[in-house]
Amino acid sequence: MDVILNLLPHLVNGLALGLLFALIALGFMLIVGVMELINLAHGSLFALGAYFAMSIIDPNLSYFGSFGDWYSALPLALRYVVALALAPALVALVGMGLEICMRRTYGKKAEYGLLLTYGAALVIEETIRITWGSAEQVMPIPDAVSGAFFAGGMIYSNYRFYAAFFALFMIIVVWLFLEKTPYGATIKAGAHDSEMVRALGVNLTRLRLLVFGLGASLSGIAGIILTPIWGLRPHVGVDVVIPAFLIIVVGGIGSFWGAVIAGVMVGLVVAFSGAYVSEWSMMSMYLLLIVVVTFRTRGLFGKKSALEN
Amino acid sequence: MRNFTSKLMTGAATFAVVAAIATGSVPATAKPLLIGLTSDASGQYANSGASDRRGMLMAIEEFNAKGGVMGREIKTIHIDTETTPATGSRVAERMITREKVGFMIGAVSSGVANAISQVAQKYGVVYLNTNSSSPTESGKNCHRVKFVWDGNGKNFAQAAVQNAVNKYGKKWLLMTNDYVWGHNTSKATRQLAEAAGAKIIDEIMIPQGTRDFSSALLKIQQASPKVIAAAVGGDDQKAMRTQISQLDMGAKYAWINNQQDWPDVYGLPAKNLFGVFGTTWYYKFDLPGVEEFNAKYAKMYPDTKMKVPGNVFFNGYWATRSLLEAIEAAGTTENHAVIKQLENLRIPAATRMQHDDAFMNPNTHQMQQTIYLATANLASKDKDDMFQIVAHASPAAVNDASSNETCKLESMADTPKYTP
Amino acid sequence: MKSPFAISTPVFTRPMLLMFVVLGTFPLWGTSVGLYNYLGVEIIIWIIYALGFNLLLGYTGLPSFGHGAYFGIGAYAYSLCQLNVFESVWAGILLGAFAGGVAAGLAACFLSHRRGIYFALMTIAFGQVFWFIAIKWHTLTGGEDGLLNVYRGTLSLGPVDVSLKSNEALFYFAFAVLVVITLLLWRIVHSPYGKALQAIRMSEMRAGFVGYNVWLMKWSVFTLSGVIAGLAGSIFAIAQESAYPDVMSLHASGFIVMMTLIGGGFVSFWGPVIGAIIFFVARDFLGSLTETWLLWYGLMFMAVMLFKPEGIAGVWQDFMKKQKAKSAATPTSQTPKNSVAGE
Repeated sequence: MDVILNLLPHLVNGLALGLLFALIALGFMLIVGVMELINLAHGSLFALGAYFAMSIIDPNLSYFGSFGDWYSALPLALRYVVALALAPALVALVGMGLEICMRRTYGKKAEYGLLLTYGAALVIEETIRITWGSAEQVMPIPDAVSGAFFAGGMIYSNYRFYAAFFALFMIIVVWLFLEKTPYGATIKAGAHDSEMVRALGVNLTRLRLLVFGLGASLSGIAGIILTPIWGLRPHVGVDVVIPAFLIIVVGGIGSFWGAVIAGVMVGLVVAFSGAYVSEWSMMSMYLLLIVVVTFRTRGLFGKKSALEN
Repeated sequence: MRNFTSKLMTGAATFAVVAAIATGSVPATAKPLLIGLTSDASGQYANSGASDRRGMLMAIEEFNAKGGVMGREIKTIHIDTETTPATGSRVAERMITREKVGFMIGAVSSGVANAISQVAQKYGVVYLNTNSSSPTESGKNCHRVKFVWDGNGKNFAQAAVQNAVNKYGKKWLLMTNDYVWGHNTSKATRQLAEAAGAKIIDEIMIPQGTRDFSSALLKIQQASPKVIAAAVGGDDQKAMRTQISQLDMGAKYAWINNQQDWPDVYGLPAKNLFGVFGTTWYYKFDLPGVEEFNAKYAKMYPDTKMKVPGNVFFNGYWATRSLLEAIEAAGTTENHAVIKQLENLRIPAATRMQHDDAFMNPNTHQMQQTIYLATANLASKDKDDMFQIVAHASPAAVNDASSNETCKLESMADTPKYTP
Repeated sequence: MKSPFAISTPVFTRPMLLMFVVLGTFPLWGTSVGLYNYLGVEIIIWIIYALGFNLLLGYTGLPSFGHGAYFGIGAYAYSLCQLNVFESVWAGILLGAFAGGVAAGLAACFLSHRRGIYFALMTIAFGQVFWFIAIKWHTLTGGEDGLLNVYRGTLSLGPVDVSLKSNEALFYFAFAVLVVITLLLWRIVHSPYGKALQAIRMSEMRAGFVGYNVWLMKWSVFTLSGVIAGLAGSIFAIAQESAYPDVMSLHASGFIVMMTLIGGGFVSFWGPVIGAIIFFVARDFLGSLTETWLLWYGLMFMAVMLFKPEGIAGVWQDFMKKQKAKSAATPTSQTPKNSVAGE
């Protein structure tokens, strides 16, 4: 009984962490799944989303006079909601700009697109450093989701549970979008066979733009949600790309639920190793990958993909 | 073949000299003294590196305002060391062989400092490690040409541990960043704590690069210690601090942290600064000269986000100033003479704006200075006034005795002569 | 008995000789154009590393994103040999190459069944595991401080001993290794083995149908490039007089991919050479010029991929094609259609 009581908090924590990992992978997954493109700028877009949100919540509006005063006087929760809507949209625009650059590499080797996004990652990170400085900053969060609560003699962070529920909400929203809307149907079709989609009269160019914008905005949302936990600094995105990459591969490329399940698995593995063999907690996810991919060539639920060639 | 080669080389050299004269880079009067600044501008320590550099530049500015050092204008060159040792080696090689710098200053990361000092030792170039607090810097990785200006992990542990055992209790837990610096610091803490009668109930290893501390923090709650001594550094520490403050766990346990660098915490909410931590200087010291020093900083860096100087700036400034003073005292830039001056360095407390006289340990080349313990200043209205100094310990009280044994400086004879 | 119709591969070619002459004389002209000998040493080391890497990426089409591990292991092996076993440059670099090969061979056992993105990811995972071990096993590796004080030894060449203490001497030694490696790799890519590697790049399935043992091919080429990475790493340890874990990080592993691509490793044997030179000179130049050098660096990558993804070698080839078209010389291209071009 004691053992179970000791394990339970770590199980809960692992599930919460897993949902956050899944959220991190969501934008990356969409772009890989549909466009068969590894977006190494994912981490920089993640950071950019957070910086945009921070500036929207707590802007320097001295140039705007009375509007600035009025805006700053709004409750923090309201400004936070504005940021949560507006910042991902801005990141989407940046992502679309990147997609327009990407067009020149379509039909060529996958490595070229990869390197282009790497260059973009450097440029975005350095631009953040120039604009916001390299010092650590704090992402403001509303009082409603901050603080801590007691349960079973342990303290848990309110924000972590809010973040996990938000992640779950985003997962469902994206799933509904892909499954229940005509856009989603086209995107999914595009993932399977772009020639077919073109033959059906869908504007493939616009589809790709849409998908990249959407993927980028999801990266941005993940940044807004995760940085109150991780802290906000220009290179914060470096810590995101590899987990995202890893989750997609463990889950299997092209599989939505594969990625979600892989995210939760990674969360559990990290949480339990962190509690019981803490020195291995960074390595555990790589070992998970090696085990899974050694036995299952295409991850857990992967479909055949052009990225295998 | 040999003849041919040397002819070619003479030719190239002549060409280079002609080119230099043609572009007018050979001065008519005293040759300027070039100093290489090796602080990080990207990577984990970019922000501290910038603060470090501002300190060096202020000291250099002071000397240039009164005509340079020994009548020579001081010029600087800065190259980013990227918080990466391999880059540190290359930058040092470039600075010495291509730029012909006289001295090199700057480091936050101990790995980078090691790489630079090894190259510097090979050529005999004096190098100042301004800001890395790893005990190995003045211990097993010490060098004759390297001088270390920050307090190290062992100094801070000595200042904090005994006190904490008496004040907060004997049930201790260690959080250790799983790399050499973390291990060394935790080992020192463990020895001191156990000597003072504490019992270490657990040691949680934190791999480098950890961003999520939730499982470690749950583990701590399950173990329920009285005191937690954390040797966690860099970005890991920043993430950890945020998560502890979210759980309001800062007040629940007595946290003993190592040094908190000012650039790492400046601008953050005071709530994030829990527990007791070390520092070597604070801008609110009620000591003569501090106000003038702050004013000079504000005047020289009006646009910097950091409105007041901190410990990293202080170390950068004092290292540079002490070097330039040592050159003047020696009356030459010849490295052996400058090294001897620095080894006998002694700065009165009043001059250095600390509570005790500071002096260089000639056997380890580490600056012996007052170590302060601070905590968050929660009552403060002034958002720059973040620290509250709770205690200070004299250099003798925090002496890092073990480095006297582990440090084996190269002999003067084995250090090549170098006169910039 | 040679077939009269076979196109023989020359031991030396014009671009090869050009490279040897230009690089081999670097200490004579480098300083007058604002470079320095130590930079030359690093460039040579990375060229060796990149040439070996391109055997994998450009010729076999296998992207490895964790190759820094084998480079780093080479550096550690060299340093451990000097510090703990015996001080011999030759023994050190042989051990370095061997250790790089063993580690790569071990990883390749798991990797060789994989393709495309799964292959790439597994290389990252193995790279991270090796890097992690290097940091974790600090009693052997010195942890994040690395192994220090690996003094540059003397190279015994039969009757004479040459000290590698000066950067110039080390440069010539590294250059000599480069010459050997270049000649060797040039033979390999033009051998039947090299052709088989290129067949695998075209289509693994077809290569299998034709009767190649694809698994063994992939395993051997990965191991071979690990050997070369280990060799380069051990020379790097001589140059730096230390071995650090950073060169094994994912970040540093990315560098070798970038160098190879930017130079044009997919279209030319010489791509990695050009890439390594540009990568280092640009970094050194920008790094001393501006603190925001990463921004310009990133823009450089973007520009290359936008306007000429085949890299610098691609630009050169286009230029040569135009020249040829102009002079309308006899079109006797010796380059087989589906190979990485030899010029």
